[in-house]
Formats: sequence, C-alpha cells, structure tokens
Amino acid sequence: MTRARLLRGVIGAAGFLVVGELVIRFGPSGDLIFPAPSTILYEAVRLLADGEFLLGALTTLTNWALGLLIAVLVGVPAGVLLGAVTPVERAVRPLLEFLRPIPSVAIIPLAILLIPVDELMKVSVIVYASVWPILINTLYGMHDVDPLAKDSLRSFGFGRLAVLGRVSLPSAAPFVATGIRVAAGIALIIAVSAELLAGGVAGLGVFVIQAGSGNRTDLIMAATFWAGAFGLLANLALQAAERRLFHWRRVRTGAVS
Amino acid sequence: MTRTLRCRALTLGAAVALTLTACGGNSDSPESANSKGLEKTVITVGALPIPDSASIYIANAKGFFKEEGLTVKPQIIAGGASSLPQVKNGQLDIMQNNYVSIFGAVSQGEKLKVVADMYQAGPNAFAIMVPKDSAIKKVADLKGKTILINNLRNVGTLAVTTQLKVAGLTEKDVHFAEKPFPDMGAALASHQADACWTPEPFITANESKLGFRTLADTMTGEAEDLPMAGWMTTDEWVKKNPKTMAAFQRAVAKAQALASSNRKEIEAILPTYTKIDAKTASVITLGTYPSALSANRLQKVVDLMVEYQYLKSPIDVNSIIVAPPAG
Repeated sequence: MTRARLLRGVIGAAGFLVVGELVIRFGPSGDLIFPAPSTILYEAVRLLADGEFLLGALTTLTNWALGLLIAVLVGVPAGVLLGAVTPVERAVRPLLEFLRPIPSVAIIPLAILLIPVDELMKVSVIVYASVWPILINTLYGMHDVDPLAKDSLRSFGFGRLAVLGRVSLPSAAPFVATGIRVAAGIALIIAVSAELLAGGVAGLGVFVIQAGSGNRTDLIMAATFWAGAFGLLANLALQAAERRLFHWRRVRTGAVS
Repeated sequence: MTRTLRCRALTLGAAVALTLTACGGNSDSPESANSKGLEKTVITVGALPIPDSASIYIANAKGFFKEEGLTVKPQIIAGGASSLPQVKNGQLDIMQNNYVSIFGAVSQGEKLKVVADMYQAGPNAFAIMVPKDSAIKKVADLKGKTILINNLRNVGTLAVTTQLKVAGLTEKDVHFAEKPFPDMGAALASHQADACWTPEPFITANESKLGFRTLADTMTGEAEDLPMAGWMTTDEWVKKNPKTMAAFQRAVAKAQALASSNRKEIEAILPTYTKIDAKTASVITLGTYPSALSANRLQKVVDLMVEYQYLKSPIDVNSIIVAPPAG
C-alpha cells in the first residue's frame, strides 16, 4: 500500500513538472517569464557542487536544528508544567493566547533591532516561532490523559510525580511528537525568512538575496527547491520516528495513518 | 595506544612547525597583528551583493585590509533601510547605504557618518525602461502611467523625477509602485505597469532577454554623476574607533583607485561575491568608483533632495562625512 501511494505521489509530482515545463516552454503567453522546471532542477543539481551554497545550506540547517532543539527543551517542560498545574495555566494562558497568533515573521525586525549578534538573533526567532506548536500540543496532550488511569494510580498510593511519569508523560508523548513535527516546518520557514530580512555571511536566504541581486531567478528557485526538499525530508524523518515510537497509540486508537 | 601515539606525533609536528615559523625571519608577526594600535582588528561590514560594493572585496582579495592590520568580514545585507538597525546595535561595524537613505535618516535625527565613498552614477547605468511594443516613446508620455521602482521616496524616484521635470511633468503626474528589481521585467511584460527604473545588471537582462528599450538615462542633467552609495557607520563608532576607521578608509581608497583605473578588476571580482557571471560582468554598464570622499559632490544629492522635497531643510554634508586623514 505504501509503495502504491509513493508511486502515485511520484506520478503526481512528475505530472506537475511536465505540465509546468510545457506551459512555460510552449504556452500561449509569452509574458510568463519564469525558468522552466528542467532549468530549475538542473541548477539545483549543480548547486550540490557549489561550496558557497553548501556552506549556506549547512548554516541554515544548523540554525534550524539548534533553534528546534532549544524550542523542544523550552516548550515541552513548559507544556507539562502548564498541563499539570492548572492555576499556572489559568494565569499564563491569556498571555499565550495573545502572543501565539502574532506572525513570527513580524517579530524578525524587532529581533534584528534588539539582538546584536547575528546567529543569536536568527536562532532566537526560530525558537520563538517553533516553541508554540510544541507547547500547545504538549498542553493538549496533558489534558487528554485518561483520568481513570491517573485515578487508579493515585488510589494505589502513587504520588503526583509518579503519576506524571507513569501515565501523563507517556500518554502526552505522541502529542509532543506531533508538535515537534509541526514546529520543524515552521522553524525552517523562519530560518530562511530571518536570512532574507537580515542578510548574513552565509545561508539559504543569503544565497537567495545574492541570486536576486544578480537577476538569477533560476538560482532563487533552485535554492528554494532545496529548502523545500529539506523540509520534506525533516517531515518524513520525524513522521517515521513517530510511527516507530508510538505504534502502540495507532493500535490503541485505531488511527489509520 | 595508537591513538595516543598519533596525538603525540601531531603535537610534536605542530610544535616543530611553530618553531620553524618563529625562526623563519617572520619574527615581527606577533605584534604586527595590531602594531598600528587599531581599536578593533576584526570588523564586520554589511554590503549588498551588487557592483557598487566591489571595493571591500577587491581590498580583501588584494590584501589592502591586511596591510592595515585589519580583517574585514563582509556580510550580505538585505537592504540599506532594513540593515540600519544592525549598524546601530553594533552587529555591523560599517555598512553600505545609498546617500538618499543616509541623508533622509540623518534629517530624522539618526547620528550617522559617511566614512568612504563607494559608487557614483555614470551614463546609462540607471535607466527608465519600457517594453519594446510600448506606446511610450518619450518621457512626457509617462503622464498618468505607472513606473516600477525598488523603493518609494528614494534615489530611484528622485532620479526619475529629475527627468520628469525636463519633460514638463512632476512626480504627481505619474504613479510609482514598489517592486524588487528582479521582478520588474516579468511585471512589465505582463502589463502590471508601464515602465520601470532599473540599474545594471537588469538593464542588460531586460534588453537582451525581453527586448525592452531604454526610455531615458536617468543620470543626466541634474542627476548627472549623482553620488549613489557610500560606506557609513554611527557617530559613536567613529568616536570609538578612529584608527580602525582610518585604516578602513586607506584600504578602501586604494581599492577604489584600482577599480576606477582598471575595469578588469571589477569584472574579476564581481563573480566572487555576486551571482553576476563573468560574461555578464564584461558587458554591463558600470558607474564610477571615487577614491576620495568629497563634500562638494555629495552636496549635489542634498540639493536635489531639498529641491524635490525629500528633505525639509538642507543638511551640512561636512558635518556627516569623516574625511580620511591626508597621506
């Protein structure tokens, strides 16, 4: 089944590229000035031999990974704390609900102004943007814990921490994983956006600025292709990890994915 | 065991190498790192990946900064306006900015100083372009039309306005719309606007790929030889780092002299820090690279800005430039 699905996905992507290629090369409108998919893919492959691009990609991915890691280290404990201690959640929730919908890209100019170290600024906005889905999903996971299981353990004389460790955390873990996966995508968007707005010594976004100033739309699209590919790979890897770690949940809830 | 051995061998090798270097007549190297008493020996300089900023890359490639005991780390910036905060909070020591932006910021109370000149407009380097089948044949035909510009109320609109004036129009007779340079060609081709103001390498690309024609060279008449961009920093940085600044000025002046005397130097350096390839670099029209910072020349920008109400009152250029020490 997975193979059939994969095949269909590949056919869909290939069909899209072919249609794009035909429209751009032979389309009725001569006004569409955009590099053809074949040109973009060719440049994308050539970028793999471009040391400057590779250094840029590495820089962006390092910021991304570091930002995501810090977001996990901040978001998960905070979510657990809020989920476990209701008065704290009541006190903090209004502030969270105010901050959460602010588009993270909008805080980048503020971060540029306030944080005078380039890498620190970039990692900070990545952390800020990716902490929300992790925090909120952890919180929901903590709310979703089976009360019966908690009560049973309590009635057997287990303390709060033991209940947290034995029931709440394992039960919330799949939610946390989903939060991290969602955050990974957002973190990549912000990692590149921060570079587009602030510039830098190296990075995918920095490469795009250079390509734009040199009138190389093909290179912009080729770099964008790789940004998309990195996002896709990260998503697939995290999804696979979720399946492996939490296959018991799928069995229990009967979810099909 | 083998690992320890290998480590020892490495350490020994490194020690020998160091000793040899020390004996190798290079004995002044420890203090020459900062024998000139620079306040800062490593500085980060923000630059746009365009032909204007060639001087710092030439100075790096030719070792001009090194001769001054200075290490310059270029950092690509996204734009003059968006990067101003980076120079104000110290993330950048010096940055590229165009003079209209600098003078505008100064008039709003920003404490900035221009430390070196960078780029001056030359003939045919900044043009108003139209599609080949456009009915617009002369600047006067732009009345009521939409002109694409990279930034509103900046050097582009200023330059275009000087040409409108010659044709008997004012900026109120046209519509300016913002669009990044790389997107202008496609936007004009799909009739989103009527004309665009653009520098190189986009002039060449629009001509060769889209068949656009140049309606007017904007850097003529009042805007002839208009100073475009300079290296700037904050007042505070200049006060704190006078020697570092002087070292930067000397090296940049050398690079500018080289750039203006030999176009090949620019063509060679462009592909190293922009995505302009050698072939394009050899055909695009470039402005000039002045070696000396001159208040008289920059005054022209201020005068135009006052004339077209970009500035409410004139700025004393002498108060915001830091002339390099003689010699």
